[in-house]
Amino acid sequence: MLDVGRHPNLELLAYSEVEKVEGEAGNFKVTVRRKTRYVEEDRCTGCGACAEKCPTVVPDAFNEGLGDRSAIYSYFAQGIPSTHTIDPDHCRQLNGKKCGICAKTCQAEAINFEQEDRIIELDVGAIIIAAGYDIFDPSLIPEYRYREIANVVTAIEFERLLSASGPTEGHMDRPSDRAAQAEIAALEKKAKKSQKVLDKLEKKFDEPSADFYGKYQTGEYEGDEDRKKWADKYASHLKIVEPLEELKKKAKRFTVAKRLAFIQCVGSRDFRFYPFCSGYCCMHSIKEAVIAQEHEPETHSTIFGMDIRAIGKGFEEYKIRGGNNSNITYVRGRIAEITEGPNNNPVVTYEDTRERKVETREFDMVVLATACAPTKGIGTLAKTVGVELDKYDFIKTDSLSPVDTTTPGIFVCGCAESPMDVPESVAQASSAAERAAEIAFQSELEKEKAVA
Amino acid sequence: MSKDILVIGGGIAGMQSSLDLADMGIKVHLVEKLPSIGGKMAQLDKTFPTNDCAI
Repeated sequence: MLDVGRHPNLELLAYSEVEKVEGEAGNFKVTVRRKTRYVEEDRCTGCGACAEKCPTVVPDAFNEGLGDRSAIYSYFAQGIPSTHTIDPDHCRQLNGKKCGICAKTCQAEAINFEQEDRIIELDVGAIIIAAGYDIFDPSLIPEYRYREIANVVTAIEFERLLSASGPTEGHMDRPSDRAAQAEIAALEKKAKKSQKVLDKLEKKFDEPSADFYGKYQTGEYEGDEDRKKWADKYASHLKIVEPLEELKKKAKRFTVAKRLAFIQCVGSRDFRFYPFCSGYCCMHSIKEAVIAQEHEPETHSTIFGMDIRAIGKGFEEYKIRGGNNSNITYVRGRIAEITEGPNNNPVVTYEDTRERKVETREFDMVVLATACAPTKGIGTLAKTVGVELDKYDFIKTDSLSPVDTTTPGIFVCGCAESPMDVPESVAQASSAAERAAEIAFQSELEKEKAVA
Repeated sequence: MSKDILVIGGGIAGMQSSLDLADMGIKVHLVEKLPSIGGKMAQLDKTFPTNDCAI
């Protein structure tokens, strides 16, 4: 990633989109919109002082909404380029409120609220589409109750929870417990504020609030406006403190996730959604189970799948090693339903097709191995660039020329073509690069011929 | 002078093809929709089957 940022032959146009493509192989004219970041790219040093001071907090897309970021942000800590970006939907200043704290904080004077989108034109010989994929939205499958049960998460969400740079710094905290903790923190803040007001009133009337409130309720101070305000304040204070105490009691039962269920083929190999196999999810689940066990040695994982497809160099060995050394059990079967049990534990009802039994088991957390879905913008991009899509909305290719699109001079690689894992993406990317290079060098040869 | 190449998407596939081309001495323009490159792979903690760090 770092190499991409500093290679002399590589112009990185991040936060940009292709708007128009004209011409033909060897001679494309491309219009690119460079979206405004409201931050001058050549000035921003990526120090992050602005993000620290920004008062607006929004869910962080990089952490799949499990963490927070400010309205001025760098996409992720090691992101290239490290230039910060202002989110125009959430920035106070850009939404007509008085703010501009980031501009005052920035020593490099990089913030520019007047900055506008820029349009640039490029002359290129060939185009490579590597637009990637989207994660299948499992809330489309009602029986898994994703978003309804907090501790049912997608594989990529779990990946962020596992990551040392993620929202939990790699601790296996459950989303339901994290939500409760956030609620406790918010209530404590509120309680502190209202306690301050009560302290003043107690000082003024020289009496503890609880004693006064008891007397007030018997009707002792009827008609006394000042004391009525005090009583109202105390009543609302109780409304904060009581649920806070409840939550704190609940917090004592918080556990790190140790019993994990991985559910395979969520959206893929499913005729309601995508009939194809996404290819990487079996290995992805095994890897997550292995890493989870590394983080917390007592972790036991159960992987529910129709079959485990470990096709690739070293993959089958990895699967067996997971079973032997990382407390992973493989269960053949599909999940009928997930419900919520006590302590926010997801309860999985499934058929074990080897044992021919329908069973129910409780877990701390359920991880859904979501399908590789075509990316949402691919339709527009395909139209802009001028290539055809296949029946699932991946870029159409031929099996004998797997990186050539339907238009000469335009190539495709990675999950924009079909679901694939990292090694395959890399291999296909090099292949697409070679095909594009042929065109780039061909034009060079032609020029030489013309001179001769 | 050879022709430039445009790469759309700065995930692992886009980065790999851009670097391959750039190493061949071809000028590459890499367009990414999001503020930073890296794509889905940057979100991964480790990669299989070697448990190598993804970043």
